[in-house]
Amino acid sequence: MKIKFILTAILIMNLVIARAQDSLQKQIDVLKEEVKSLKSDENSHFMVRGFAQFGMDATSSAMNFNMTSFNPVLLWRQGSNFLFESELEMEYMNNEFSLDIGYANATYLVTKGLSVKVGKILIPFGTFSERLHPSWVNKLSTAPLGMGHMDGMSPMADIGIDIRGGLQIGLSKLNYSFYVVNGPRLDDGIASPTDAGKLTFENNNDNNNNKAIGSRIGFLPFTNSSLEIGVSAYYAKPGSETSPFAGDTMNQNLNYKNVTAMLTAFDLTYVKQLSPISGVIDIRGQYNLSNVSNATYYSSIDSMQYTFTNKSSAYYVQFSYRPSMVDNDILRNFELVTRYSAYTTPKYSLWYSDQTQMEIGLNYWIGWRSVIKFSYQYTDGTIAGTGTSGMAGMPGMSNGRLAHATTPTTTTTSTSSSEMGTSNGYMFLLHLAIGL
Amino acid sequence: MKKKIYIYALLLAAFAASAFIQGCSSAKETLANKSGAQLWSENCIRCHNGPSPTEFTDVQWKTIGMHMQIRANLTSTEAKKIVEFLQSAN
Repeated sequence: MKIKFILTAILIMNLVIARAQDSLQKQIDVLKEEVKSLKSDENSHFMVRGFAQFGMDATSSAMNFNMTSFNPVLLWRQGSNFLFESELEMEYMNNEFSLDIGYANATYLVTKGLSVKVGKILIPFGTFSERLHPSWVNKLSTAPLGMGHMDGMSPMADIGIDIRGGLQIGLSKLNYSFYVVNGPRLDDGIASPTDAGKLTFENNNDNNNNKAIGSRIGFLPFTNSSLEIGVSAYYAKPGSETSPFAGDTMNQNLNYKNVTAMLTAFDLTYVKQLSPISGVIDIRGQYNLSNVSNATYYSSIDSMQYTFTNKSSAYYVQFSYRPSMVDNDILRNFELVTRYSAYTTPKYSLWYSDQTQMEIGLNYWIGWRSVIKFSYQYTDGTIAGTGTSGMAGMPGMSNGRLAHATTPTTTTTSTSSSEMGTSNGYMFLLHLAIGL
Repeated sequence: MKKKIYIYALLLAAFAASAFIQGCSSAKETLANKSGAQLWSENCIRCHNGPSPTEFTDVQWKTIGMHMQIRANLTSTEAKKIVEFLQSAN
């Protein structure tokens, strides 16, 4: 009887334990599944990155805290082929707050070497605007002359479609981008006579029935990807379909429908870690050319019609060295940078300028994407219509983001070209840029 | 003016020769046999400093990898290998 009781008890205990184990195993399985789904999350992922900056500039006459901006970048990946990306631009500069969208687009990876991007895209005209514009990527505090979005020289962002990709060709690599966008507008000079003949980019609405087309081809001849040579071309008809002077008996003959704009750019990048010099050298440059066909403009300043050869050019060459391979923890975070840039606009236009700029800087990297930049900049040359050395509206200060800086260069503004030129003289800049 | 052009041409030639020598030294390493670590060190620094693998989680690396593949026009093989390296070192 006693044995029977013990056996029954053991049996019951076994059943209880088995049941508990089963329940525990089920819980473990559920937890495993949850961990697995959290760990892989293959299908959808959203993240916020971006960059922020803060800085100051000083000349002989003024010292300003400036360059304050916060640019969150939103990334949303859906599966392995779809990505949505957007950059918001929040900025306070020269007593003005601006909020804009630098880019917002969706990309679908069609095949291994081809993707299609639609929306507001960064224009791959050269490399500066698309790849180097974030303040923590650009090694100097300012954009080179003629490369800023206020210069009317090169497209930086626009709405349209971009087909792009990278391919391996033997030991070399080739990357390409073909795009169709709304395109620039030709400033007719009605709102701002001193801007007549200038191109304005980043227009949300097109002013005619045609579209701008462009392309950039990049070639990396070496397997270590150290050298990239790029060629860009961009063609547009920037004039409106009808004469902006319709109804004006004196100027109704002025029509810009058939004006064409052909822009080209050449870029070169050479970046290599070299053991003999215990660090990384970075050499890069870009040469932009803008050729807008001749047209007659009306100046309300002196009530005269006039014309000029509408050609502009800009270039920069930059060299930097960082002793990243030395043993000293502090020394390897320093980086020496120097850049020379030049910008020439049409000589007989009312926005003529012919300037050169030299900048030398010393950076200290406090993290791989956070840097303190100190630089000295000297700008010299001719700016039409200037008699002042005010610092307002410096295009070079607008490299932290791509959209409107201190003064938008749209046809709706009355800002004169002279206000948009980089002032001559020297400047010291101290700048903190943080990638997030 | 001619002297200036000559100096620029000379500098360009010296640079091209130096770049060519550097490139040739690694010409035997095709993309197929390059590791993700090597591709990471070669490609990221073309625009910015190379990130540490521990900066982001595996899922984040996948999203960032796709973002950079599109932005820098990396080949799909490069992007895949770089992301795998960053995830494996995490």
